[in-house]
Amino acid sequence: MPLEINTKGLACPVPVLKTKEAVEKNNPKEIVILVDNEAAKQNVSRFLTSRGYSIITEEKEGEIRIIGILESEACMPSSFVKEEEGKKTKTLLLITDDKIGHGDDLLGTKLMQNFINTLKEMEGLWRIVFMNNGVKLTISNSPVLSTLKELEASGVQLFVCGTCLEHFGLLKDKQVGETTNMLDIVTSLQLADKVIHI
Amino acid sequence: MPEDENVLVGLKSPDDAGVYRINQELAIIQTVDFFTPVVDDPYFFGQIAVANALSDVYAMGGVPKTAMNIVCFPSEKMDISVLKEILKGGIDKLEQAGVVLIGGHSVDDPEIKYGLSVTGFVHPERIIAKKGVKEGDLLILTKPIGLGIINTCIKGGIASKELIDRAIGIMSMLNKDASEVMKEFHVSACTDITGFGLIGHMSEMIMQSGLSALINAKKVPVIKEAIEFASMGFVPAGTYKNIEFYRSMIEDRLRDDTLLSILFDPQTSGGLLVSLPSEEAEMFLIKLWEKGIQEARIIGQIIRTGEEKIIIEE
Repeated sequence: MPLEINTKGLACPVPVLKTKEAVEKNNPKEIVILVDNEAAKQNVSRFLTSRGYSIITEEKEGEIRIIGILESEACMPSSFVKEEEGKKTKTLLLITDDKIGHGDDLLGTKLMQNFINTLKEMEGLWRIVFMNNGVKLTISNSPVLSTLKELEASGVQLFVCGTCLEHFGLLKDKQVGETTNMLDIVTSLQLADKVIHI
Repeated sequence: MPEDENVLVGLKSPDDAGVYRINQELAIIQTVDFFTPVVDDPYFFGQIAVANALSDVYAMGGVPKTAMNIVCFPSEKMDISVLKEILKGGIDKLEQAGVVLIGGHSVDDPEIKYGLSVTGFVHPERIIAKKGVKEGDLLILTKPIGLGIINTCIKGGIASKELIDRAIGIMSMLNKDASEVMKEFHVSACTDITGFGLIGHMSEMIMQSGLSALINAKKVPVIKEAIEFASMGFVPAGTYKNIEFYRSMIEDRLRDDTLLSILFDPQTSGGLLVSLPSEEAEMFLIKLWEKGIQEARIIGQIIRTGEEKIIIEE
């Protein structure tokens, strides 16, 4: 007899919570969940799928039986994921100013802000190197600090030129990224598949 | 029903709020909104209820002026200090918005409910309605979505303290600044995102326009934990109802249904969805960011397809 859990009459998210509890406690190869509404059916099915179960549903007289059968671990596609990651191009972004272009500084500052905020859309962004005035984007009063922190959290590496920070007396004000030296910067440029200079 | 030519927005063209013209310079916006607690902390529930109730006025390009409390409370079962905290949260948020509380009404009820009726001002010729999108307009959303999923996780006790705090921050954030920025541009249409979810409200925007919307799902700002929780099945029942209700309006080109359930996720005190000419969109976005509305993004465009539908791409 597979483990059977009755969640009829219970509102979301209780059916999926009960399913989660049972799966985590017993780690069953096969599990049956009874639900009585469409939302619970979809949610429980999703949960079981996310934990590697394949799903069969049977419906009769307002009762829905969701049967989950654990697929063998050999089916897990983790090795494919790694391979795909390896193929990605590595884009390096070299930022040497705190604004974009010449002409109007106020416009340039806003454009840089817009540019950094939109960087999440850039596929394959691997590393950002900040040099000269660019290091000012990484200090405490930078308008793009939170976005840079998000980028860093999402895996983009941020290298900040130490010599530049020191020159501006900003070593202590840097809030994001790794303080780095010219050797690292040169190596980064060499390792990257593509370098974009802003 | 008796006709009144001073009703500028009413039941004939249901919008986020009603608008009544006082004279050629002034119209009042009226709206009412109340609901059951979405978070455990009564103070923050009060704040969220106010941000939510004021939002309809902001979405119409108005300035909220006065408010009245609506309270349902089980006074025999629950300590009155809980109610005091809710009201304190409400008053603090009203003060932040520059709105005066001028009264209210309470009833004894087994379930807590709180909200407000709000009156705002707007120039009769500067009302920003839900209808009015134009071909080529870009669509901007000012707050991340996924709040319904996060609220489901809060109910289920599986949301971290940090995530709860972040969700509270988003829900209690006023749409005031976004609304003020909106007035500096030629906005064609605007609505606020609540129970029907992003795509539900967007459908309301394009109905009877003869136009379609093309949405890039990957560009939509989303609370990142919501994606994982949605794939685990922590999706509120309202989402499935929304998908069912608006299914005929959408052309779904997504690879899996997790993203779709986020796009239809019911929001509490969600952001503004703004439609404006493409050449103004970037400056609008920059102004929003300057005001600290950092998560605002361009999410799609109004296009002509010969039908009224929403095409959702990845």
